[in-house]
Amino acid sequence: MTKKERKKAIIIFSIIALVFMIGSIIAGGGSGEEESVQVVMRDAVLHDVNKVSLFGIKDVNPALISGFIVSGIMIIFALICRLFVIPRFKLVPGKFQLVLETVVGMFSNMAKENSHINRFLGAYIFAAGSYIFTGTLFELLGVQAITTNGNAISLPAPLADINGAIMMGCLSYLVIMSGGIIGNGIKGIGKTLKDFSLPISMSFRLFGALLSGALVTELVYYFSSMSYGVPVIVGVLFTLLHALIQAYVLTMLTSLFYGEVSEKVVKPPKEKKKRRKKRVTVVKETA
Amino acid sequence: MTGLPLNIDWQQILLHLFNFTILFGALYILLYKPVKNFMDKREAHYADMDSRAEKALADAESSKASYEEKERNLDEEIRERKSSLTKEIDAERERRLEAARGEAEKIISNARGEADREKKEIIESAQKEITEMVTDAMEKLTLEQSASDAFDQFLDAAEEASK
Repeated sequence: MTKKERKKAIIIFSIIALVFMIGSIIAGGGSGEEESVQVVMRDAVLHDVNKVSLFGIKDVNPALISGFIVSGIMIIFALICRLFVIPRFKLVPGKFQLVLETVVGMFSNMAKENSHINRFLGAYIFAAGSYIFTGTLFELLGVQAITTNGNAISLPAPLADINGAIMMGCLSYLVIMSGGIIGNGIKGIGKTLKDFSLPISMSFRLFGALLSGALVTELVYYFSSMSYGVPVIVGVLFTLLHALIQAYVLTMLTSLFYGEVSEKVVKPPKEKKKRRKKRVTVVKETA
Repeated sequence: MTGLPLNIDWQQILLHLFNFTILFGALYILLYKPVKNFMDKREAHYADMDSRAEKALADAESSKASYEEKERNLDEEIRERKSSLTKEIDAERERRLEAARGEAEKIISNARGEADREKKEIIESAQKEITEMVTDAMEKLTLEQSASDAFDQFLDAAEEASK
């Protein structure tokens, strides 16, 4: 592409963007914003206004639908990989093989580094990390759903819903507890119960982090004047960043606590014997 | 169930759990396990290659050491073999010289015997010839002497008569 062609392309692109901006400003004032920003924010936190019908059985939060869609996408992706990519794996990996191996290897090594019982832990943090990452990026797609009120909404990240975050936090806590049981039996349960605040902190950390991202994005999109240029940073970069950070934080915390509770307790030698020995040595020295 | 704060709904939590459980199972079976197995197999393959290479290296090192040891001993061995061969060659040369000397002496003694014999034969034949010649000469001389004596007597008588 020559310099002239590049200039031409930039000018055309700018004109198109400008036309869309002017159009949206003109159109935006009249019909689009039925809800106030307070209502939108409140609904993003509580999901009490906009519900989506789950096959007509129950009205659920839109994040649950997001969860199903994300799971479906991930399962189809995994199936395609299993059928067409993994059988063609080579000793010297290609680009895609390298990506898959890096992701699996990263979680597997994280589990190995933190616990000696790591087979299940590796698989769990792989699934959890992939789900959090993909789920968070899912909100970028802006998949539309119709609420029970008849409004069209953009589906949020599955874990931006308190119910999804509680599920992930509590399940991670149960996985940590299972590590304690495998490593130390009943004592392992005791060790895990000492950190009783863990499920709450894990759940709400995840919920808070994802929700804050969603709220900022929601706020930015709410005002049409901010819908140009700003979403590139707020929408894409923030989402990408907190997708990575939250996936890393939850998997790291889970594997750390799992390693801690599954570590075998070594009984310290009894105090009495030590004291007796000390006494004997003191007596000898004085004699 | 609606009384909980933040719109927490146990049914939805369980639905999320159900969703994630299925995802976990699918990801484990379809992606994590096969990729991990492949990586473990490759690791084992390279570990095996590494151990084989190390073994081959150790073998090569021991071979090198043994060859160096052999090389060190080679000069000594060559010297020993050389001296033993020299000794053998000397002995063989001596043996052959002795044999040649014996042969030469034999040849010389035979030649001497032959020469003596021939000399004897020559002498004998010469003596015989001489004898025969002397005999013939004596015979001739005898005959010639008687004739010449008569002639001389005649000549002497003739001279005396002339005087």
